[in-house]
Amino acid sequence: MIRKPSASLQARRAQFKLYKEDVQKRGKPFFPYAMFHDTVMSLIVVVVIIALACVWKWTTPGDHTGTGAGWLGPLYAGKADPGTTSFVPRPDWYFYFLFYLLRIFKWPDSVILGTVGIPTIIIVLMLLLPFVDVRRERRLSHRPVAVVICILTVLAMGTLTYKGATAKEALASETLGAVPTWVKKNKLPKEAVPGAMLFAQSGCLTCHTYLGTGSSNLGAPDLSAIGKKGLGIDTQIKHLKDPSSVTPGSPMPPFASLGEDNLRKLAIFLEASKGGG
Amino acid sequence: MESGPGDEKTHLPSPTLWPIGFAIGLAALLVGLIVSWVVVAIGAAIAVVFGLLWVIDLSHAHGGAEGEPPPVAEAAPAGAPPEAPAEPAAEPERFPRNRFLEGTTLGLGALIGGLIMVPSLGLVAASGIEGQTFKDVDLGPLSNFPEGQFIITTFVEDPAAGEVSRRTAYIRYNGLLGELPSFTILSNRCAHLGCPVQPNGPVASKPSEVVVDKQGNVVRKLTPAKPAGFGCPCHGGQYDTEGNRIAGPPVRALDRYEYSIVHGRLVLGSAYSVAKVKDTGKDAKIKKELLHNPGQHVEGPEAWLWPIPEIRT
Amino acid sequence: MADPGDPDLMAAKSARRKQVEGMVLYPLDWLEERSGLVGGIKYFLFRKVPGDTGWAHTLGSATLTAFIVQAITGVILAMFYKPSPDEAYASIQHITNDVTFGWLVRGMHRWGASVFIILLFFHMARVFLYGAYKYPRELNWIIGVFLLILGMFEGFTGYLLPYDQTAYWATVVGMNITANGPFVGTLMGQFLQGGPAIGSDTLARFYSLHMLVAPGLIFALIGLHLYLVIRLGVSSPPWSKEAAGDEYIEREEPPPARAGLVSPATRQRPQP
Repeated sequence: MIRKPSASLQARRAQFKLYKEDVQKRGKPFFPYAMFHDTVMSLIVVVVIIALACVWKWTTPGDHTGTGAGWLGPLYAGKADPGTTSFVPRPDWYFYFLFYLLRIFKWPDSVILGTVGIPTIIIVLMLLLPFVDVRRERRLSHRPVAVVICILTVLAMGTLTYKGATAKEALASETLGAVPTWVKKNKLPKEAVPGAMLFAQSGCLTCHTYLGTGSSNLGAPDLSAIGKKGLGIDTQIKHLKDPSSVTPGSPMPPFASLGEDNLRKLAIFLEASKGGG
Repeated sequence: MESGPGDEKTHLPSPTLWPIGFAIGLAALLVGLIVSWVVVAIGAAIAVVFGLLWVIDLSHAHGGAEGEPPPVAEAAPAGAPPEAPAEPAAEPERFPRNRFLEGTTLGLGALIGGLIMVPSLGLVAASGIEGQTFKDVDLGPLSNFPEGQFIITTFVEDPAAGEVSRRTAYIRYNGLLGELPSFTILSNRCAHLGCPVQPNGPVASKPSEVVVDKQGNVVRKLTPAKPAGFGCPCHGGQYDTEGNRIAGPPVRALDRYEYSIVHGRLVLGSAYSVAKVKDTGKDAKIKKELLHNPGQHVEGPEAWLWPIPEIRT
Repeated sequence: MADPGDPDLMAAKSARRKQVEGMVLYPLDWLEERSGLVGGIKYFLFRKVPGDTGWAHTLGSATLTAFIVQAITGVILAMFYKPSPDEAYASIQHITNDVTFGWLVRGMHRWGASVFIILLFFHMARVFLYGAYKYPRELNWIIGVFLLILGMFEGFTGYLLPYDQTAYWATVVGMNITANGPFVGTLMGQFLQGGPAIGSDTLARFYSLHMLVAPGLIFALIGLHLYLVIRLGVSSPPWSKEAAGDEYIEREEPPPARAGLVSPATRQRPQP
């Protein structure tokens, strides 16, 4: 079925024809003019790739082999262990924005949005772009929507990528190293140290912050100066065993399974944390 | 192809099939020199017979050369004129089998495509689905698991598959339920997207048991721990000691393993999914669901989005 | 060409020049008569492009260069890499530590991937901002989106190949994200993994996808992409004063006097 082309399609075709004539009349041959630019840029690309490879290798500590991390990360991590309990998985950096998106959608019902929903919507929008934007206008000064979309996309992806890169979980494998700093900053006595290590290992920092480590979740207070409140060892232990009995309505889960011994050590540490760092 | 001054016509040999037989005989002869004398004899005989026939043919052709080309040449022009006037009239019917040929070509092409692609894709798809049943894993005597204590158990699900089937489970012996030992066995794969979940609590610095196979691979490793819960390093999921989700994006509780006691040893069975476990320890009420991939709800309205669980044949 | 000077000198130059030219041109003519390739290449090299194309237009060919680096380094790495779960890690260590310049080729491949992805995004942004996805280049944009998806798929499948902790767990999560798709998610995940979990076949499957399927598709789509660029031409920057084909902007009335302050002044086509 052959329909007469619409006026806008005719105008487009006429403009394209004009473009072709313009290029024939006023254009420059691809070689050497444009190809020169292409070649210079390609050379820069290759040099950058080689430079990155060299930096990756030669900043690796020691004899430049092995799993130590240099400026650009380790040459390789340890061998794959499907039964690990201490590894922190991360994707390649260009997937960080998707990775952080998954951390934003914390509610179980919304998980599918972050995994499937948003990426699919983005791809569909990208594919449909030439059919959504049918204006012939190409000047940025006359395309406010396009400029805004571009800026928002760059900002969003940049922020998500950065947040993904710096995301940390308060897990034993990562936070135990902070204990000596706490001892110094809070001037913790010797008997508080085992409690400090337990505190670092037991997931407390998932919701509480302490001297700059950890994250603040579900309204959990910072504990750097909890000892100043004068709650006393017994109340601390009672609270750890069943938080709602001391603070009604508290979302904190019970930690009774740590055992009497460990709970006492934790309480000593908490009571000794009087801030001052 | 220009004839010399002495030729009126070029003498091209007439078509003949005898050389083929001659060549076969010759080839058989040469092969027979390597293989066996019988073949040589047969080859020689064939070569001689066909060679003679060829020579006879050539001499006949040479003698009757003038006779051959003219009849051929006459036949052609005689044939052409009768056809030519017929052509314009018969134009639309020149290729009456057009449609048939089109259809057959496409059909055969589709058949070829199918013959190539179906087995290949079938292999790729089927291999993703078959032959992956759980195998029982022996985790050692019951004395390895003191009551009320979590043991981080690393084991190899399938020794034939090797390291790639290594898994970790958090196992706690809950005491006797009636007469039978009750265990809580939690998978360490997060129910959000499968990252390895870590214990929130102190872990013993040395394992309580390490079993090594003949090649030196660690087949089983048991490490006591006192977690108050479990946390996931990827996106912040938190679980309690029953494996139920406390916080974060996990969509259900941690998967669990079936188990059996065989000759006083704990044997691990297949894994299954649970939405949420009520009560704790040996009083826990567990509604078993088919094993689902992480991230898939197993109850509630969203569960209908994933009607097909993992397929293990 | 040559200045009309001494006729004898001209003649001598011509004869020798003719000889050299003949030697060079003969094989080219031979090739051209039998294939038409030489003419095709000449058309590609000497075709006209708008005079105001700038450095921003080099991003596409830069991306292609990065991809070619990946292809070449990938071929070399494939000569040393062993795609089995038991040997992959050791072969990567071998390449990085023992093979001469193995560290360089592997480093180029690994960082070339990142550079390739960055350039893909920059090129896409450039095309978007220049409005070069509009008529008649819509198909090229769509092909570009598929190239972006394939590029990221290459990155994902390649990430598993060293089979270290980072590789394994990133792939576990990626596969579970795939399985999160409604209805057929589990099947797709099992299809890619070669089983209900990452198993002994997963690595080989990813290797085949990374080395054969995805590059094949990428090469084919790049070919199509370039063909369209040559056929449809490169668009001028939209703000250029000499933009090719720019005269459709007709205003009903001439803009007010302060037009140059708040919007670009009406452009006139340069008189020939």
